[in-house]
Amino acid sequence: VTASRRTLTRAEADAFGRELDALRAEVVADLGQRDADHMRGVMRDVHRLEAAGRLLLHAGVDPLSFTIGTGCLALAKILENMEVGHNVMHGQYDWTKDPQLASHDYEWDHACPGSDWRHTHNYEHHTYTNIVGKDRDVGYGFLRVCEEQGWHPRHLAQPLVALSLAFNFQWGVATHHLHVDEFLAGRMSLAELRTRARPFVAKVRWQLLKDYAVFPALALWNAPRVAAGNWLANTARNLWTFAVIFCGHFPEGVAVFREEDTRDESRGEWYLRQLGGSANIEGGSRFHLMTGHLSHQIEHHLFPDLPASRYPEIAPRVRAICERYGQVYSTGSFGRQLRSVAGRLLRLSLPTRGASATTAAATHVRAAA
Amino acid sequence: MSALERQTAGWKTAAAAVARHLLLDRHAEFWRGQLDGTFSTTEIRARVVRVIAETADIKTFVLAPNRRWTGHRAGQYTTVDVEIDGVRVRRCYSVSSAPGDALAITVKRVPGGRVSSWLHDHVRVGDVLVLGGAAGDFVLPSPAPAKLLLLSGGSGATPVMSILRDLAARDAVHDVVYVHHARTRADVPFGADLRALAARHPGLRLVLELDDAADSRGGFDEARLRQRVPDLAERATFLCGPPGLMARVEAMYAAAGLADRLTSERFVAAAPVPRVADGDGQIVTVRLGRSGTRFTASSATSLLEQIERAGGRPAHGCRMGICHSCVCRKQSGAVRNLITGAVSDAPDEDIQLCISVPQSDVELSL
Repeated sequence: VTASRRTLTRAEADAFGRELDALRAEVVADLGQRDADHMRGVMRDVHRLEAAGRLLLHAGVDPLSFTIGTGCLALAKILENMEVGHNVMHGQYDWTKDPQLASHDYEWDHACPGSDWRHTHNYEHHTYTNIVGKDRDVGYGFLRVCEEQGWHPRHLAQPLVALSLAFNFQWGVATHHLHVDEFLAGRMSLAELRTRARPFVAKVRWQLLKDYAVFPALALWNAPRVAAGNWLANTARNLWTFAVIFCGHFPEGVAVFREEDTRDESRGEWYLRQLGGSANIEGGSRFHLMTGHLSHQIEHHLFPDLPASRYPEIAPRVRAICERYGQVYSTGSFGRQLRSVAGRLLRLSLPTRGASATTAAATHVRAAA
Repeated sequence: MSALERQTAGWKTAAAAVARHLLLDRHAEFWRGQLDGTFSTTEIRARVVRVIAETADIKTFVLAPNRRWTGHRAGQYTTVDVEIDGVRVRRCYSVSSAPGDALAITVKRVPGGRVSSWLHDHVRVGDVLVLGGAAGDFVLPSPAPAKLLLLSGGSGATPVMSILRDLAARDAVHDVVYVHHARTRADVPFGADLRALAARHPGLRLVLELDDAADSRGGFDEARLRQRVPDLAERATFLCGPPGLMARVEAMYAAAGLADRLTSERFVAAAPVPRVADGDGQIVTVRLGRSGTRFTASSATSLLEQIERAGGRPAHGCRMGICHSCVCRKQSGAVRNLITGAVSDAPDEDIQLCISVPQSDVELSL
């Protein structure tokens, strides 16, 4: 399963980094109207899909309009979260200076407050990608996704836990910032947890009110139908985002890293870690759009603040650079990556020992340093 | 404001807050914007209703702003945001209309000027521009001075025109001399309007100084001004024009001890911020507007690091330019992005502190 990565010297890693920097500069210089138009076009589609979905849910009485309405709403939520919210909040469109595309102001249709997300995701996850103990996205605190996380009998329930996380993914993401595990371990006081949770509680209240009180109430006798449609749309979005995000970091062969190996990492070595810790999903342009271009997880982790719709264009060149430096460019079909993630979660739910695929991969940065 | 109006305003604010929390405000903004391109709850948007070519390189854009435009005082300017190749760019332009009339801005095409050229070449009737509010101190005191001298050159005629139109509308043109400097008669904006104003208001005297006139020595001529306006010492004077003209008039007034009679309007937006040389160790001053801190800084180190060293604790994250946690509003000055090499020297731009080095004195909203 594991293709071998060539260990690079620091000089080689720096040269690798310079090539990626040059590629980045080329895209930055080319950013323009079409990027702004793309994002506004997606935003327009989100508004239209959501309006259509809600109209069908509110006004219809038959199962067909329910199904189509829920589908439109789910599509709208997926696009809004992944292509618009995630990417805008990364600062991918800050260069337009359009206040509606400003990263620090954007608030998405999701239980996680934008401010919490920008911290845990943009900063923690993207800076410390796949460093065990520093990137809290590695297993989200309760899944065992690599050997470095010691085995515990509770991991036997991991397949079920993963499945329920998939169904409730927005809540997993939203509570991620709270560090509930720290609180349970007695390392955080209740008062501190309460302070941390303030934006979360406020956001969740309004989100629940919107989907399960205000919109259903507007539908009068159709309220249960609308609430059910909203729940289904939210859940479909949860399943989809879970699948895409787990395929981005946890297929077999994607590396994790030890903190001590990454201490004085150079920019080139940071790039190498981003590459080693990410995996792509192959698909068509519509599929890429539906994933917010996180199907190009590798390009996203190398260039998190470049407009994501540019990733498919630069992917062949990124891949060529990686191959030239003997680096694995991990990619596969959605089905293959999903099976791989499932296999990894199942395998690691049992006690494992010895140097495995993930540990072996973890050493490549250190050896290079 | 009546009790009923206050109550309505209160309800509107409350409804807007609920809509914002339910994320419905974006939908309202979008759908109302689809129906009316100038609708916005956050920005002043104005539809272009008429474009008037004043001269070969000066155009007036008559605008119908949305209700967020709260009016201007004669002589003030507004900012105009246009999107050029996906990027919003902002410039200041003087309002040329009188308060109460249809809003108009007048724009001279600056050679090599991106925004003025774009406005001239691309903006058509029906397009929508984003405006800032009206601002500026180039306004007549109240009550208006009994004797007035208006002095302008080139596109400096714009705010002066607003003042003249305002005086005319209030029937307050008692004793006004307007001296305008231009290269040729064809370069004089508002020509027909000025002649009509002078015909209707005997208190207005127009003096045109043309560089191509037989007796002209070109540009501003102090002796000539004294000869044409012998009582200029008694007149409150308002001056707006190109830097050369302004410097000479200001020097003349200062030498004559009349500096307090003179009010000037400078089109500062066009002047680039003087930047230190690239390379290391140039010393600049950083001012943090909100906390009032001021410290000297080096042009070789990131602003984040230097603010921290000076005792500040700005929000930040990755310290390598990827997470955008340290984005902060730069109010003035020039900074260079260490990753892209791009320089931000316009006022009021957002910058990433961790990868920005100062290139001039800088003021930040921290």
